[in-house]
Amino acid sequence: MKGEKKFLAGLAAVAEAAKLADVDVISSFPIRPYTGLMVDLSLKVANGELDAEFVHAEGEHGQLAIVHGASASGARTMTGSSGVGVTYAFETYSPISGGRCPVQMVIADRTLDPPGDFGSEHSDVLCARDQGWIMGWAETPQEALDNTLIYYRLGEDKRVALPQFNCQDGYFVSHIPGDVVVPEQSQVNEFLPPYKLDKPLDPLRPYGHGPQIYSDQGPVLELQRAIVMDKAKEIIPGIMDDFKRIFGRKYDPFIEDYNPNNAEVCLFINGAHAHTARYAIANLKSQGVNLALCKLRFVRPWATDEIAEALSRYKVVGVIETNNSFGVAREAGVFTPEVAATLYDLPENKRPMLISFMAGLGGEAIRLKDFYFMAKKLINTAQRKKLEKPVYWIGFEEDEEDLTF
Amino acid sequence: MSKPKIPKEKQLPEGLIVDCPKTEQEQMTTGGWRILRSVIDQDECTHCRVCWINCPDAAISVDESGDMKINLKYCKGCGICAATCTVGAISRVPELDFDEVVVYRDLPY
Amino acid sequence: MSDNTVILEEPIASVLKAPLEEQYVPGHRTCGGCGPALAYRLIAKAAGPNTIFLGPTGCMYVANTSYVCVPFAVPWMHTQITDGGGVASGVEAAYQAMIRKGKYKGDFPNIIVMGGDGGTSDIGLQAVSGAMYRNHDLLVISYDNESYANTGIQVSPMTPYGAATSFTPPGITIPEAKKFWPKDLTALIYYGHPMVKYVANATIGYPVDLMNKVRKALNKKGASFIHVHSACPKGWRFDASRTIEMAKLAIQTGMWINYEIDEGKKKLDHVPTKMKPVEEYLKTQGRFNHLRAEDVQKIQRFVDSKVAEARPVAARAV
Repeated sequence: MKGEKKFLAGLAAVAEAAKLADVDVISSFPIRPYTGLMVDLSLKVANGELDAEFVHAEGEHGQLAIVHGASASGARTMTGSSGVGVTYAFETYSPISGGRCPVQMVIADRTLDPPGDFGSEHSDVLCARDQGWIMGWAETPQEALDNTLIYYRLGEDKRVALPQFNCQDGYFVSHIPGDVVVPEQSQVNEFLPPYKLDKPLDPLRPYGHGPQIYSDQGPVLELQRAIVMDKAKEIIPGIMDDFKRIFGRKYDPFIEDYNPNNAEVCLFINGAHAHTARYAIANLKSQGVNLALCKLRFVRPWATDEIAEALSRYKVVGVIETNNSFGVAREAGVFTPEVAATLYDLPENKRPMLISFMAGLGGEAIRLKDFYFMAKKLINTAQRKKLEKPVYWIGFEEDEEDLTF
Repeated sequence: MSKPKIPKEKQLPEGLIVDCPKTEQEQMTTGGWRILRSVIDQDECTHCRVCWINCPDAAISVDESGDMKINLKYCKGCGICAATCTVGAISRVPELDFDEVVVYRDLPY
Repeated sequence: MSDNTVILEEPIASVLKAPLEEQYVPGHRTCGGCGPALAYRLIAKAAGPNTIFLGPTGCMYVANTSYVCVPFAVPWMHTQITDGGGVASGVEAAYQAMIRKGKYKGDFPNIIVMGGDGGTSDIGLQAVSGAMYRNHDLLVISYDNESYANTGIQVSPMTPYGAATSFTPPGITIPEAKKFWPKDLTALIYYGHPMVKYVANATIGYPVDLMNKVRKALNKKGASFIHVHSACPKGWRFDASRTIEMAKLAIQTGMWINYEIDEGKKKLDHVPTKMKPVEEYLKTQGRFNHLRAEDVQKIQRFVDSKVAEARPVAARAV
């Protein structure tokens, strides 16, 4: 495999990718835990490794405004945030998506206030899932580096032209180093064409971006955005094939279907705790217990058909929610209703039972024994052929100590 | 999943990025707003261009012969030109006194 | 800083020497007699074709671009009312990078934010401050019609003391209607941001002065700010034909003071040899109809102290 072997944390890996992608404008503002990305980028700019404008924004809302303007003018941009910084910038997300500016925002996720909690949780950027951005999580520093390149390629594709949330679990991925192969510039040049806008803000070819509309013109613009989100789904597999061809690393387009032991029950997961889950699966196998894992690679666009097909093979699916949505339908988190909608149209004999596990909230690690507990509940539910209850809160369930199968 | 097609007559530019006009924006003619029409007495006019500089709508221009000409397609009849003319050469006449209809709009707004 | 900045010829000697080309063309739904629209036209005219405008939400967005069309002959982008300064900073950074890296072959453009008083002194203040502090090569214009006009004339930090708006109606509990004194935005920008070389107060009442200030600002490398007094017939309640008269009356009564600070040198413009009493300004506008004698006196004292504070270095008599 071509490239340089390094030992990097997730944010440092993204910084390497930004340098290879020849980013033009970066806007910074400090907030834990993503700050390290900007520290890294500022060094690369200061010592001449990366030629970019490094703009010290006055806040997260300002960060997004800056990359919005820069992207509309034809520059490749990067920004980022965590936690309440992500929600502070919220006003800008729809205008950037609707303005079709393929800005990339790197998220090292963090629990939302109140009060201050620096630990990882997916809630911060999941709040913005309706705003029309590409969104997905990286499980390892290598995946974080690769996603940076993949998301620029996807977002900047003229058929899509959408901004992207390049997410990774705070601390678990952003700060814990792992083996990373940093590609060569020639590989990146082949995979990622330069950013070219059809109608930028350019006095040589003037255009007006975003005049006021009458209400009956609203549906047209929104349908256009729905269509391009769909288009993104269409072209993702081809991009993954191209990635494999050039860099030698194969990524499943939408979900990683991990079922080495022909299990009948499956955990549906997003983010870095999938890493621990695979060890749990191996350990359980040695005890004669079979568990599968379905890891989400793209939250947006959500690949309904592919996910339904994969989950239809199981009797019970357990959705792991490292997020919150107080008062939501079925009272788990954000992913349960989406998985339920995904499974809804399956014929009854192919529709698995659905339970949810609230785990990893506040930045707590999901431990091996938590996965054993989840496996036990899945298997018991499969055996009894009915739900004991729909939602389990890991760390609070009374029978968590009893892990006999 | 397939989405319905957007019919041609409803289509809008992607990202709502629209063309810039060169000399006028014909999609927004405002001459129909007038109640009073400004009329320039060309004999009195000294070509000082104060009316031209003060028009928020750029509805006064200098024609080939150097005379000040009011663009009735856009003039809203605000009367700034009449109020600021240095020699009082502009009078305001009720629009309905004129026979010709300058602007007919069939847009719903 | 890019070396490609095109220097605009300056100054414009008189109305007769002002360029005939319009970058803000006829065909927009601003009110008849709209002061901000006139400001836009003059600023665009002075800036010329090598210009990018950023339009935060406000009258100069909604009224100008209703519907699906723009009256700008130069590139323009809508921004949120909160982030005109931020988006413009991004456009500026993009051009710095793209020109330096050889990705753009043209000249560095004029970048102008056309924000209202709300979008520059209130909800948009943070973004403007960021742009000024970082000294991006751009110009922020505050077209000041002294209210959030587009949403129906609501109070803003630039609304004068005693002015009625739809959030500050006069009544028995607050007879003066508006009880806060307005922010001094130009001073806030200049004294608060040490790298800003040029700020000015201007008015549509003196169009040649406004255009020359715009050119001076655009020719500076770095951030500039111009605060343009823009009379609003609807909001201030006077007949549309009197817009220019109101602009001049504000100068003649001291309710608006024209000046510029250019690389540390302050110069007052259009200082009347004798100030008219503020009452002459207040009585012409419906938004001040409710004022009592004591309110008028308060306003007169405020204006007197502002005029005294101005401490002219060199003045041009009107």
